[in-house]
Parts: sequence; structure tokens; C-alpha cells
Amino acid sequence: MPDGSFAHPQQRQFNPYTDNGGTILAIAGADFTVIAGDTRQSEGYSIQTRYAPKVFRLTDRAVLAVNGFAADGNMFVKKVKQRLEWYRHAHAKDMPLHAIARLIQTMLYAQRFFPYYVYNILGGIEEDGSGAVYSFDPVGSYEREACRAAGAAQSLVQPFLDNQIYFKNQKAAAGQSHPAHLPLSDVLAIVIDSFTSATERHIEVGDGLEIYVVVAKGRSPQGLETMRNVQELSTRPDGDRMFILRRELKKD
Amino acid sequence: MAAASVYSGAGFDFTNEIRNNFLTERGIPLPKATSTGTTIVGCLFKDGIILGADTRATEGPIVADKNCEKIHYITDNIRCCGAGTAADTEFTTALISSNMELHALSTGRKPRVVTAMTMLKQMLFRYQGHIGAALVLGGVDVTGPQLFTIHPHGSTDKLPYVTMGSGSLAAMAVFEAKWRPNLERAEALDLVSAAISAGIFNDLGSGSNVDACVITASHTEMLRNFVRPNERVQKERSYTFRRGTTEFKKEEVRALVVEEDVTFISGGRGTEGEAMDTS
Amino acid sequence: MNSFLTRYSSTSPEADIRKAKELFDEDGDVSDVMWGSASGFGNLASGVPMFKLPSVPDPTSFLRMHTDDHADPSCRIKIKHGTTTLAFRFQGGVIVAVDSRATAGSYVASGTVKKVIEINPYLLGTMAGGAADCQYWETYLGIQCRLHELRNRERISVAAASKYLSNLVYSYKGMGLSMGTMICGWDKTVRIPEMNRDCTEAIRANCRLQGPAIFYVDSDGSRLKGDLFSVGSGSTFAYGVLDQGYRWDLTDAEAQELGRRSIYAAGHRDAFSGNTVNLYHVKQDGWQFIGNYDVSKLHYEGPGDVPGAPGTGYGYDLRVAGRTSSDAPQSEGQA
Repeated sequence: MPDGSFAHPQQRQFNPYTDNGGTILAIAGADFTVIAGDTRQSEGYSIQTRYAPKVFRLTDRAVLAVNGFAADGNMFVKKVKQRLEWYRHAHAKDMPLHAIARLIQTMLYAQRFFPYYVYNILGGIEEDGSGAVYSFDPVGSYEREACRAAGAAQSLVQPFLDNQIYFKNQKAAAGQSHPAHLPLSDVLAIVIDSFTSATERHIEVGDGLEIYVVVAKGRSPQGLETMRNVQELSTRPDGDRMFILRRELKKD
Repeated sequence: MAAASVYSGAGFDFTNEIRNNFLTERGIPLPKATSTGTTIVGCLFKDGIILGADTRATEGPIVADKNCEKIHYITDNIRCCGAGTAADTEFTTALISSNMELHALSTGRKPRVVTAMTMLKQMLFRYQGHIGAALVLGGVDVTGPQLFTIHPHGSTDKLPYVTMGSGSLAAMAVFEAKWRPNLERAEALDLVSAAISAGIFNDLGSGSNVDACVITASHTEMLRNFVRPNERVQKERSYTFRRGTTEFKKEEVRALVVEEDVTFISGGRGTEGEAMDTS
Repeated sequence: MNSFLTRYSSTSPEADIRKAKELFDEDGDVSDVMWGSASGFGNLASGVPMFKLPSVPDPTSFLRMHTDDHADPSCRIKIKHGTTTLAFRFQGGVIVAVDSRATAGSYVASGTVKKVIEINPYLLGTMAGGAADCQYWETYLGIQCRLHELRNRERISVAAASKYLSNLVYSYKGMGLSMGTMICGWDKTVRIPEMNRDCTEAIRANCRLQGPAIFYVDSDGSRLKGDLFSVGSGSTFAYGVLDQGYRWDLTDAEAQELGRRSIYAAGHRDAFSGNTVNLYHVKQDGWQFIGNYDVSKLHYEGPGDVPGAPGTGYGYDLRVAGRTSSDAPQSEGQA
């Protein structure tokens, strides 16, 4: 028991990390990207808040989802946004997605010996108009992928995505092949089902769901505007369009 | 040593104790037991006792059972809610239930709650907390309504309203705010479900539905899934797979029906025969 | 205009900001280049970057406590590990083959990792150990190699590039970096004209350093030159196949097939390796990506119609056809 006296040897540990639960997920389509996260923030068996966003808009065509230790995550998003703001001032344009990905790598790696305990997923539209997802480990290794789940329910959701998005362990019907990209409506349905299922089976997932959808310039949002609880975040009607879709999740 | 594999005495088997401790030291942890993260409560009301429990069972952060039963049968007039290691609560309550029945038969009297409580605490104390059962025991006997909590190490409390498990603080907050003596049955049921709901919504270890059990001098009523505030939502897609989705290298079809030709040798009354002698 | 003056003055607004920054020690890594497009790598060009350290007496043990999954399986930050990589030199150049699995503990974190890092058109680096360490420092090495080209008007040699990396990681020795990499490439080839046959021994020695080269570099500080290496948890399996099939005078097709088969063997037997094989061939005019092959497809069907392919699966048919008691061929079964 550390009591301040020197009667017996004492040992203290510096443990600045906590796991705040929750799950994030992103799927890239041909000309759109969906980035989603639940809004529960927990520590141990307690819920700290039922609404703590984990998905953040960076630019008109880039969205960052962070998961892990909430304090590190919020600080990291703040610093990324600051660097993107500086870039805007220097170049009078938004940083392209692949450059943001590399920026995030260097920012994470700068903390190699005192890591941010954060799993990042960056989603958005690439300069060629294609949907893209970049996933990172806490010290900055990254990779462009078609889909990725991270966080508490990663091991529940990722196998489901492997099966439904990459068609793993599914043989195509004779004479047919699996589609390379799914339409937006299918992707949204898969994202929502991923979260409702993760909520049922993982205690740290639940409360609310925020889904960001980025649609490439000039492409159709495929009926997204008419869905319930949808809000458009686009700054210009002629550029890439961004939407946020909110859903309730179970609260137990 | 060889005898151990032939004869095993009653009670727990400790043969793997030393090996498992060694493995734990070497960084290979024991597999996690299913635990009922749990909110369990009990309270006194005008006519008796009401017990309540949530229905979530967890393995670490994973929900193992979305609708398990945590109110266990002891005797007709006594029930016991269990929190902690699922297997421990189930087997201890089953064992005590069995012993209570034998005790009732040998004494020829209706079983008392204190008897069950004493059996439980003596057993748990003997195992020094290694049986991870935290219990809420309630019932009505000749001495009136009785309500106890029993901790894994064997200590007990006798109180008018009690809570246990990871959601005990949330549930107790509700009891402390709203419980009063001589509640009506309906009021008490509402209070118990409010207490369990507090656990379900604010404690991650508890979830799904509210089970309740009302015990009065004359009658015991188990209200399974008394409130269901967390129904599954409809999924957006259907996930049925086309026949032939799974790839295979080899196909072999074998008939499992064995065909036999039966030739009757004696007489024409082949099908009837003589009745079998079963005396 | 008078930026030099303002930088060192003690009364300007800049100086105030500078003082404030010193006071709070905030954003110590922020420099002018960060405002521009260099996005962090800009300051790398001028030297080795600065890293933030936790303010504890022993930062290394702090890092180990929170990241090393061997010491504590329950630690929070899981760094991706597990790999099989190989590279070998032969008559036709260098073959580089790797798997694509990344594991964090027992979880397969990814099955599509690019473990060959394309440093420049003549240099490849392989990735084993910490994914971020390899990715970051080999990208950094790429920058330094380009600067070398600009400064010296000639390509950096594989020996020099690998030594640069080796010296760099050695300066971080004991701090927790984890890398096991092979730097592979083709050095500039100089032809000595016939009449200059009486050149000095020094020139002669230099000429021996031409052509394909492989250097193994790891975070302990080792740097080894060699003809054949395999690195990672599945390396023993890969070596088994590699050693029995390796010859200097392998044809291109045979060499590519050997690389593929070796990684397949590791992917098949090592739980921490697998998913797919990435195959590269380095020749005189730079590296060339040969292909990506699914390990389980290799097992059942083989690599398809590529040079050196056997035309059948690498494992399944071999193991199953007529070799089980239930499916013994007639001739053997009768005997």
C-alpha cells in the first residue's frame, strides 16, 4: 500500500491508457465510402456517456473514425484537423485523401515510443473519384482496403464483412462472378446489421450509431437523401457530397 | 497415484491444481468461466418477498446467453438468485435444493429459509471463496418472510431490501430512493423491475430482460421475462445462402437405409407371432 | 526579407510565440515545414526526426509494458507481427517473395498486407516484425536514397542503402524497434573495357560488388550480405523448401516457382503466416512485380498458367490422391 512513508519498498506504475470500448467500421464502394461508429463510451462495466462521437469529418471528402482510448483519440483528431487547416492556409485547397493517410502515419509514428492508444480508420473519396478506406495500427502502419472493422467488436464484425463484402468462403454461382463493389443500399444494410448484431453480442457496443456517407462528385447518392434520419453535410452542391445517417442501438 | 485414476471420491477434484497454477505463472491463463455479470435483487413487501434478476450471461465482454435464468429453485417456498460464476451458482443452488428436500423429508417439517442460508454459507466458507457464488436468498416460512444475501466467502446479511452482482449499485440506488415498508404487491413488483432495469441499462454486465419471483405464505409465482425492454430489431437483410455456396472437393452419396429381404420360414401367420414374455 | 533578424530577435511576436512554446513544451515537433506539403516527412530530410517520450525514468520499459504481447498477453496496444519473407540471389537476378498476413496476438489483423516495400525502382525492402517500423523507416530510406541520387548523380548501391538503414536502427537499439528486413536490388554494373584489363585491385574489388545484391538488416544491428535469406516466424518452413530447390543457375521460371512454393509451404504450416503470396523479381533494369497468389488456391489448384507452374495444386492432390486407406488405388490396395 503506497502510504507515503519509506518503511517498505514501493512500486508505482505509470498507466495512462484505458480502453473505452466501442466499434468503428468503414466500407469503400466504387464511387462512395461509408464510415460508421457507435456512440457508446465505456470504462469497465460503466457507461461514461451514451453519445460520444467516434467519427469525424476532416474535409469535404475525408472522414476519420477513431477507436480505443477516447482521450488520445480526441486529441489525435484535434491535431489532424489542425494540420489540415495549416495545409489549407498554405495551399488554398484541401489535402487529398492519400496524403492525409500518409500524414496520419507520420503523426502516429512520431509517438512510436509513447503511442497513442488509438485505432484509426480513414475513409473518403480519392482524387480519381474512387471510394477508399485506409486502416492504421496505433503506431502508424497503414494499408488501403475495401473494408475494415476496428475496436471492441472487431473480431465479431470483420469476419462478417469478409463474408459479405469480399465474399470469402462463398462460391459464385456457375457462370457468374462476385461483384467487385456493392451498391450503396446494400452497403448501408450490411453496416446497420453489423452494428445491431455487435450490440446484441458485445457489451461495450450500443446506444447510438452514426454513419457517414461520402459520395463522389457527380455521382448519385442512390436514394440516400430520402432515408429517415439523414442530414446532408455537403458544403457545395456541385462537389463531393457528404451525409450523416443516425440510428438508435439497444441501450442495455 | 494410480489409484486416483480408478477411484475418485466425492466432491471437487484438485488433481490439476498444481499444473494449472504453473501454467498461469508461465503466462497461460485459465479459460474464462461464463459469469453472470448480473444484477440481482430482492425486497420485502406486505405479503412476502419479491426476487428479481436480469437475464444476461457474459464471457468477458461477450454476451454468452441473452436470456438465461438466474432465479434458481431451492424449495417450493424458497428461491435463490445467483451472481458470479454461472456454473458455481447453478451447482451450489442445485446441491442445496437437493439437501433441503432431504432435510424436509427427514424432519417432516416445511423447510425454512435460514436452513438454506446456513447450508449455503457453511459450504461457501468451507471453500474459502473459490466457489464464486454471490447469492440473494429469499422465501417465506413459518417464521415469516426472510431475505438474505450470501457472499462468496460465506458471510451473510439479513436486510429488508438487497442487491448483488455488478449492477448492485445501480439497483440499490433505486431501492434506497423508493423502498418503504409494507409495499403493495404491484408497487413492489414495479420497484423490483425498476431496480433491475437500472442494472440492465447502466451496468454493461447486465442486460436483456427482467425476471421476477413473488413468494407469499401461500403461493410462489415465477414471472419469467416479466419485462422485455430489449427486443431484437429486425435485420435489414436476409442472410440465407444459395445451395452450393460452400465449395467442396469430393462428393460421395451413401444410402443410410439398409434394405433387408426377410423370408418367413414357419407358417403363414408370419407377422403376428407370439407375444414376448416380459414377466 | 529580414526573416533572419526576426528569428533571433527577442522582442518580435515570433519570439513571444517561441518563448510560449518553450514554456509549455507544446508541439515540440512542429516546424515550419509542417505548414507545407511535406506533411511531416519534410523535416526528415534535414535529419532524423524527434520522437516524444513518456516522462518516466525508463521509457523503454514503459513501452514494453504497454506493447509487448509476449510479456503480457493482455496488454492494450497490439503491434502487428508474424510473417514469412524470403529473398535469394541467382543467375537471373533476385527473387523476393513474401506472405501477406498480419497478426495481433492470435487475431489475423489483415490478410492483404504489402510486405514488400518499393523503396525505388531498383530497391526493394521486405517487412518482418513491427509493420509500422518497417513501413516508416523504409519509406524514410527511400527519401534518403533519392537525396543520394540528387547529390551524387548516381544511384545508391544496395550496400550503402542497407548500411544507412542499419546505422539508423542501431541508433535506436534497445528502445523497442522490431524489424527484420532484406534490402534487395541491382547495383550499377560497370563494364571494364578490354584495354583496361590491367586496372588496380581496388577497381577490381569494386567490380565484384556489381549486379544483384541482398542485405539482411535487423533492429538488433545485424547487417549481413548473402545469397539467400528467409525471415520471420515461418522462415524455417520456407528454408526447408528453398534449400532443397536452390541452385545458382536456376532459370527465371524455376526461381519464381521456388519462391512461390517456399512461401506457400510457410503459409500452409505456420499459423502466423499465410493468406497470399507476393512475388517480385529484380533484374538489371529494376524490379518487376510477378504476381499475387492465394495460398489456399495454391494448395488446391496451383498458381495457374504462369512460367514454372506445375499445372496442379501444390499440396492437396499430392496428399490425397490414392494415399488414404479409404481411397487406395486398386494396384496398391490389392497387394
